[in-house]
Amino acid sequence: MIRDQLPTSQVRYVGREVTRIEDPGLVAGSTQFIDNLALPGMLHCAILRSPHPHARIIRVNANPALALDGVVAVLTPEDVRRLANPALTAPAGWGTHCLATDKVRFVGEPVAAVAATSRHIAEDALELIEVEYEPLPPVATAAEALADGAPLLFEQHGSNVIQARVYDWGEVDRVFAEADQVVRSSFRWNRVGANPTETFGCICQWDLADNSLSCYGSYQVPSFWGLARSISLNLPANKVRVISQPMGGAFGGKGGARATDIAALLSRKAGGRPVKYIEDRMEYLLAGFGQSWDRHYEAALALTADGTMTGLRVKLIDDQGATAEGYGTISVAKPLAAFTGNYRIEAARYDTTLVVTNRAPTAPYRGYGPPPHFLVLESLVDLAARQLGVDPAELRRRNYIGKEQFPYTIPSGNEYDSGDYAAVLDKALALAEYPALRRRQAEARTAGRLVGISVVSTVEPGVFDWNAYATVGVQGVGVPEGVRVVVDILGNVTVVVGFNLQGQGQYTIAAQVVADFFGLELGAVRVTTAPTDLAPPHFGQGGSRLGVAVSSAVLGACRKLEADFRRVTAHLLGVPLDEIELMDGRFRMKSRPDAGMSLAEVAGLMLGRSDLLPPGMEPNPQASCVWTAPGRNAPDDQGRCRSYLTAANATHVVMVEIDRDTGHTEILKYVVVDDCGTRLNPAMVDGQIQGAIAQGVGAALYEEYVYDGQANPLVTTFVDYLMPTIHEVPRTERDFVVTPSPTTAFGAKGCGEGALHTTPAAVICAVNDALAPLGVALTETPASPQRVWRLLRQAGLG
Amino acid sequence: MKPAPFDYHAPRTLEAAIALLARFELEGVEARVLAGGQSLMPMLAMRVARPQVLVDLGKVEGLDYIRADGDALLIGAMTTKTAAAESALVAAQQPLFHAATRLVGHRQIRNRGSVGGSFAHADPASEYPAVALVQDLQFRARGPSGERWIPAAQFFVSYMTTRLDPAEILAEVRLPPLPPGTGWAIQEFARRSGDLALAGIAATLRRERGQCTDVRICAFGVNATAVRLPAAEQALLGRPADGEHFSRAAAIAGESLEEPMSCIHASADYRRQLVRVLTGRCLEEAATRAA
Amino acid sequence: MTTRQRTTITVNGTRYEREVEPRLSLADFLRHELHLGGTHVGCEHGVCGVCTVLIDGCSARSCLTLAVQADGAEVTTVEGLRDRESGRLHPIQQAFIDAHGLQCGFCTPGFLMTTLELLRDNPEPSDDEIREALGGNLCRCTGYQSIVESVRLAASRLRG
Ligand SMILES: Cc1cc2nc3c(=O)[nH]c(=O)nc-3n(C[C@H](O)[C@H](O)[C@H](O)COP(=O)(O)OP(=O)(O)OC[C@H]3O[C@@H](n4cnc5c(N)ncnc54)[C@H](O)[C@@H]3O)c2cc1C
Ligand code: FES
Ligand code: FES
Repeated sequence: MIRDQLPTSQVRYVGREVTRIEDPGLVAGSTQFIDNLALPGMLHCAILRSPHPHARIIRVNANPALALDGVVAVLTPEDVRRLANPALTAPAGWGTHCLATDKVRFVGEPVAAVAATSRHIAEDALELIEVEYEPLPPVATAAEALADGAPLLFEQHGSNVIQARVYDWGEVDRVFAEADQVVRSSFRWNRVGANPTETFGCICQWDLADNSLSCYGSYQVPSFWGLARSISLNLPANKVRVISQPMGGAFGGKGGARATDIAALLSRKAGGRPVKYIEDRMEYLLAGFGQSWDRHYEAALALTADGTMTGLRVKLIDDQGATAEGYGTISVAKPLAAFTGNYRIEAARYDTTLVVTNRAPTAPYRGYGPPPHFLVLESLVDLAARQLGVDPAELRRRNYIGKEQFPYTIPSGNEYDSGDYAAVLDKALALAEYPALRRRQAEARTAGRLVGISVVSTVEPGVFDWNAYATVGVQGVGVPEGVRVVVDILGNVTVVVGFNLQGQGQYTIAAQVVADFFGLELGAVRVTTAPTDLAPPHFGQGGSRLGVAVSSAVLGACRKLEADFRRVTAHLLGVPLDEIELMDGRFRMKSRPDAGMSLAEVAGLMLGRSDLLPPGMEPNPQASCVWTAPGRNAPDDQGRCRSYLTAANATHVVMVEIDRDTGHTEILKYVVVDDCGTRLNPAMVDGQIQGAIAQGVGAALYEEYVYDGQANPLVTTFVDYLMPTIHEVPRTERDFVVTPSPTTAFGAKGCGEGALHTTPAAVICAVNDALAPLGVALTETPASPQRVWRLLRQAGLG
Repeated sequence: MKPAPFDYHAPRTLEAAIALLARFELEGVEARVLAGGQSLMPMLAMRVARPQVLVDLGKVEGLDYIRADGDALLIGAMTTKTAAAESALVAAQQPLFHAATRLVGHRQIRNRGSVGGSFAHADPASEYPAVALVQDLQFRARGPSGERWIPAAQFFVSYMTTRLDPAEILAEVRLPPLPPGTGWAIQEFARRSGDLALAGIAATLRRERGQCTDVRICAFGVNATAVRLPAAEQALLGRPADGEHFSRAAAIAGESLEEPMSCIHASADYRRQLVRVLTGRCLEEAATRAA
Repeated sequence: MTTRQRTTITVNGTRYEREVEPRLSLADFLRHELHLGGTHVGCEHGVCGVCTVLIDGCSARSCLTLAVQADGAEVTTVEGLRDRESGRLHPIQQAFIDAHGLQCGFCTPGFLMTTLELLRDNPEPSDDEIREALGGNLCRCTGYQSIVESVRLAASRLRG
């Protein structure tokens, strides 16, 4: 597959484990993360945040702050009302201004801001700002939001419900009525979130002369944020320039909409001086886009007596937090892309209610919606296996979509491109020595130990499309990702992209394709990010798409260059065009391979000897290609469409032991087998998997944003937000299967979110397998020791 | 997360440091001693501590030592935890303190954090105060009116509060030897390794003719200060050192706690359970070490 | 307001003398006074280890140290790792590249500095010793396995 695409006799880079071109700067400490950047005359911003979950703002007096030495500008709700618009949201109308204007809706919501000559002084100044609040009754939970007479967050809507929508796919009621077995359970998924080691940061400069704005910062999806700023700040889109800096991770909503607006307006008020804002960790935990998936589920799975799954019903109440500004809503929509997982389930219903509460707004997090969804589905499958007395691996196998059935359309409308789930399962079971593992478990149980095993399979929808989110009000089909491949007069190649580094290694992928295409050394290819005003149309990282999108776009651009360069060569050698081919970096004659020109020669000629070019040919040795996933369509009235282009899959086998006395869960064994098609750079795929497992373990066992009964956040530091350290992440045993995608150039599938789809379900299912003999089950995440201990006590232990 | 402004002094001698503290106290200026900063710095950054002045002990001569005093050990307040963890003297003579030190945070924290700082900070979740209570450590406080020795039983007053006066500096810690034949153990339960404990137990005991004597059990991470658990100790005194009696003592340890703290990671009743479990485990472990 | 303090710190062999506000952390001093931006900041309250540097040869969180406290000290940062003359990366840096011990790279300087101390004190650490040493450094990207492999690779290369 790779070979077919590349004019080379020997593929040296694509599909190979190569070291990354982005690494030397990173290990040297010279990569320009946003806080390493300083502009002349720069000021520093600090933001005053609400201490109340819900309160009316009576008065804000920022004058005392202005009097402090070093303070240059303050921004107040008044300013913001005058100069800016409320944030765009999906669905529309559930956002606010960058500073709360009428009332605050969550603890940590920005109320005022200061620009000063240092961050220290800016923070001093915050203490001088007087704000008078009139506390309002808070809405602390989704249930409270839905209660009759609940206080309203957005009075104009008359309700706290952002959207209530039921999707019906197939004859759900009939299959449930006819089912021999129905298993059901409720689940509570508590908030977790991205927490990249680098928080959000930006420097904004408002050019007062031509009324334009430049925003440097850790912007995950630069043009998207730029467009949003033009709307919130009343600027024409071509007057907002976003310069994305390398990011210390993102994993979802990195881009600081409010903070960018605040820094921009402060710059405007400070006479156009650049204003830097670096979110600190407590701000991130309080109000950054770092909280995701606050969910209450009730779900049921219907089966026939022989264990055939026939129907799935999922009722979801999703607490979006105080506003929809973080695009947390799309996490409710994404499960449509893989609603029934790996299985042939004929009918399904998804009953969704999205509510606002006085918790912080939620945002996307790696995997978007499916990680909790798969916890629900896979837990139901395990419940069914237990009730039917079938081995859970076996029950899954019986219901897998067969490898001959692809492309396969699931009830919720998406089409899976390819896969061989049974092969993945077999490999995982073999690697785990599954029968022996079960024997070990039996022995341990006899000895009174609480040991559990899970075998969990999931699908990872890869290469997202906007159409997947139409159901929550995002319109559009197609997500363009563009690159420009530029050859200079000496034959050096630069790839210009519209996104910046974030950790997944897409620069390297771009370079791998170019290097193999033109027969160059990997290190000779430069990849660089252009500001939004110069970059080709682009989106950036998100929805496991960029590896596929970038490799496809680069390939497309290389092909265009190849065509032009062949024309020049043919013209110069005086032979017909189809006599010239590109091979191993040379444009050569098919009949006389030694006759031809190098890339540098052609480029040099193009730029230096216009007299020798074919008539009408531009001296332009560069080409752009903007790629979008082919074959995507608009959704029907039930949200059905071909959304995500690829469907990777994985099976995890996990063994855990629970301490009978403390409820502590220890992972004893962790086996992963995945299939993401062609692995463009195997080491990088491995890294994505292991990294996502760490985050999955965090979600399953450690991480949780806790709120009290008044909607006050209780997790505001890394002392309480428990990201796994090296001691908590298991050493995994990994293997893979390759079923190339027929829909992408190299056969690769999206794999960036990967294991986060699987790990939470796998760990929780293993915990429940350990608990099963006691007759108790954990239906809430994370499996913190205290939570598990309560169950143990309920079962008469502990 | 930047500290509020403060002034800074880095005196070279203990006398000078005390004189500064005394002066600020007199002038009504809120001054605070800075040692390794591993607890104080986060509090400054969050602006929950807002001293007007910091008096840094980092440059004070003669506070960084570990030395034998007969069969006791004297440790200067500014000795780092890494120095304590790597000291052969500490390992040989003070195994319980040594084990406790290795449970503190991570290498980077132990490299900077001082031994004295952990006692003076009196974090209820810290291992050190528990060791102090189990082993009757003594604290040498130096102040404007001279020096005094404060026994561990009096040193810890309440949450992050000690008997030290505002102008007093903890200069030295004296660790008496564990009596010959003493078995010891320290265990804790934290969400992640290196985190402050949700609950922990330090215990020592001796065995005479198969019976437990000199039982000391101290819980940390559960109350406003580390606490001895006399009821559990009593229950074991003179009893056989076996699983049955350890379990009984452990059960009493859990029950006898007075109003354990509650936080998002561990409610009061869960802390009781942890204390019960850890007490049982520590007693078993200590017994294996008791001659 | 507070009195600035004359502070002299040797960083990567170069002596710097500055008047600094006492409340300035060593991390902010390195990053914003000396423009040595390789030392990153991830939490400013001592948990993540991203800001790790060596102070007089010992790993330390530069967010939990005031610049004034480091007066007279020798500080080593990630910028001091590569060979001054040739610009060649330190074997530990190269090992992290070769064994894919980083993704976003934001945590990496902290891991490198912690590893530098570890391998100086213990040239042949076991996996458990590596894990113990790196327990105070958070990485959100890699899941740590490749970091352990990087340290192992660095150790073997440094032993020659
Ligand atoms: C991530 C992390 C994990 C940690 N884990 C643990 C752990 O598991 N167990 C544990 O015990 N600790 C832990 N700590 C705290 C650490 O051990 C601190 O070093 C210690 O609590 C304080 O010592 P210090 O020298 O840093 O004191 P500082 O932070 O400088 O001072 C702490 C307090 O004590 C006062 N003080 C200090 N020295 C004296 C003195 N000589 N005389 C009078 N007053 C004094 C100060 O005024 C201040 O109020 C952790 C810290 C961090 C950041
Ligand atoms: S920034 Fe220093 S430990 Fe996190
Ligand atoms: S590589 Fe991104 S945090 Fe470690």
